Amino acid sequence: MTPARRSGGPSRRQIALALPSALLAAGCAAPHHGSGRPGDPIVLTLLSHYASEALKEALRGPVDEWNATHDRVKVRTEAVEFTDLLTTFMVRQAAGRGADILHPYCLWTGQLVRAGVLRPAPPELAQEIRRGYGAAAVDAASVDGTVYGYPTEAQTYALYYNKRLLRAAGLDGAPRTWRELEEAAYRTTRRDRYGNTLVQGFGLSAYDDSTTVGQTLALLHAAGGTFVSADGRSTALDSPAGRAVFGLERRLVAEGASDPGVNVYQAFASGRVAMTVNAGWWTGSLRTVMGRDYRDVGVAPVPVPRAGDAPATLATGFLLGVNAASRHPRAAWEFLRWLNTEKVRARGGSTATRMSALQVSVGSLTGRADDMRALSGRGGDPNLRPFLDALAYAVPEPNGPGAQQAKSLLRQNIEALWTGQRSVDEMLRSVRRQVDQEVSRSW
Amino acid sequence: MVNALVPETAGRAPGPRAAEPGAGGLDRLRRRRRRQTVVAYLFLAPTLLFFAVFLVLPLGFALLLSLSRWSGFDLGDIDPVGPDNFAALFADGATFLTPVLTNTLLFALGTVALALAGSVLVATCIDKLRFQGLWRTLYFLPIVTTVVAVGNVWKYMYEPGGLVNGVLNALGLGSVAFLQDPDTALPAVVVVQAWASLGTAILVLTAGLKSIPGTYYEAAALDGAGPVTVFRRITLPLLRPSLLFVCVTQFLIGLQSFALIIVMTKGGPGNATDVAALEMYRQAFSYGDWGAASAAAFVLFAVVLAVTLAQLWVFRRTGEDA
Repeated sequence: MTPARRSGGPSRRQIALALPSALLAAGCAAPHHGSGRPGDPIVLTLLSHYASEALKEALRGPVDEWNATHDRVKVRTEAVEFTDLLTTFMVRQAAGRGADILHPYCLWTGQLVRAGVLRPAPPELAQEIRRGYGAAAVDAASVDGTVYGYPTEAQTYALYYNKRLLRAAGLDGAPRTWRELEEAAYRTTRRDRYGNTLVQGFGLSAYDDSTTVGQTLALLHAAGGTFVSADGRSTALDSPAGRAVFGLERRLVAEGASDPGVNVYQAFASGRVAMTVNAGWWTGSLRTVMGRDYRDVGVAPVPVPRAGDAPATLATGFLLGVNAASRHPRAAWEFLRWLNTEKVRARGGSTATRMSALQVSVGSLTGRADDMRALSGRGGDPNLRPFLDALAYAVPEPNGPGAQQAKSLLRQNIEALWTGQRSVDEMLRSVRRQVDQEVSRSW
Repeated sequence: MVNALVPETAGRAPGPRAAEPGAGGLDRLRRRRRRQTVVAYLFLAPTLLFFAVFLVLPLGFALLLSLSRWSGFDLGDIDPVGPDNFAALFADGATFLTPVLTNTLLFALGTVALALAGSVLVATCIDKLRFQGLWRTLYFLPIVTTVVAVGNVWKYMYEPGGLVNGVLNALGLGSVAFLQDPDTALPAVVVVQAWASLGTAILVLTAGLKSIPGTYYEAAALDGAGPVTVFRRITLPLLRPSLLFVCVTQFLIGLQSFALIIVMTKGGPGNATDVAALEMYRQAFSYGDWGAASAAAFVLFAVVLAVTLAQLWVFRRTGEDA
């Protein structure tokens, strides 16, 4: 190489070294979303689990209305299946591409707050949320007393029963106490000579975490117990109420009135389960799947251990919150306030918030009791009434940082009890040890 | 052909250059070598970059996470905790060692044993049949079928009113809650995994069978050896390289797989079918505990490495070099 060459532009070697670096840098650079030019509208992204056509369509209505009436801030919705929702939050957040508005399951609130993903609601909005929603819905959307968003759909648990099967067993109505529940379960159970279940008296479902744990916690709350301590850091299952619930479930399985191996969602719809405990959203599915047979379905409050005991059940739900990493939090809260608190004229001439109208239009419940009463007053499904009433006394699902893991561990232990792997005492010991150890790591 | 990269050798004819001072020649040689090294690394750069980005970086990141706490959301929140995550995996009351790791080994062992026995049997039979391509295709079909479909079909077959129980009932036997009974759930899933792995194993073993020279069989026939003797003394020993390959790969797949389990049992009932890969997936993506998930991944890596080395050692001792 000559000195003359050295003094002129970059050498071939330099170019060879620089090119891959430049290409790598260009490839790794994340695209910047939004023009950011002054005068251009702010585009907010809303990531939810409303991935089905019905839910997508329901959300599109108010979002289109907002976009048509607001020039400065536009909203774009994105949806993934519920099973992919938490993972999508994680991956996008880690990549710096989290949505401005998040729609998480309340069980994850503590986990998201601890990870610094959710932004606390501004004080005036938090006040508004506390005033406008039922206590269970507000608690589900809060961590340590701080509100993190607007509760959207609220789910409470109640007893579903098949009127025809109960009548055939000589029973007039739904059981109100555990003694009546057990008696009704044994009287309605039928099996063939090979041991195959023809009719389950009381359906205990091992379908997923929410079903398995949800029905058990609904019964636990009805007995006056709780899953975790008030601070959410340890289990409170090893109590008389806990022993009573697991004793009841173990007896039902051992006596053959419950068969956790059967898919309750399919079996109840086809008239092969007399009673089961589930959340309010199921009424909509049952109405569609069962057609005319839906008239056999009745819903009653979760039975209590003794006549005269105060009713209680479980409440779960979702919330709409703002991402802590959003560059437009004020605009995001403005949109959420418009969606969740402004009253508009809805079905049947009644007034309700846009979100409440959306929820009722898809057969779900909202955490606003006044909206629910207004929207389901005339011509609504009478089976929704017990779920609506339960909003007043339901206990929210624990939502601390390790709530999802605690729920999974509880589910594993419940299944171990149902299958006879563990006795009630062993199961309670195991839950206490596992949940306390694992959940303490999350704090 | 002259290789331009080969340095000058001492055997070359002496010329004017030989008269140059030795230090200058050495310098030139060094410079040329350095240039050659740089050029070589430049040619290697794309491959090295690929390995760095897709192997070294993730491995280093996983190692960092295994010694940290991270919820999976913000890279700035990685909090070093030392070996705590590893300690938690083996703490009193933790389920990772028992039943999770035990289930993982039983699952892999059961799958390999069944798949190996089944594939040897089927491959030997296919080798003696007409339309071998058709048979191989038929047995290969589960491989091209999605795990979700396979898992769901078998799940329905195992159900109390399903095909398997229907057959049992027709034989006058009582129903078995295959996937709901903790004693039968793991074996039931192992059978499905082994069935789904048969295709690949059969493909490898039929290729192995084809490579055995026919002269051995002719000699055995002349000596009057029966089919069992021929199989034990000729087929099996000469099939050993293929068997080793199937054994090692199936074991690795068995130790790391969890898709079928998620579809069929979700790790239940209780944690009767919970395996290490499923636990890692849950820890990371459901519980947001990436530290615990990464620590579990390294433990599983150690187990996989130990088992693979043990397999290679056993096969080498018996005279087979992989």
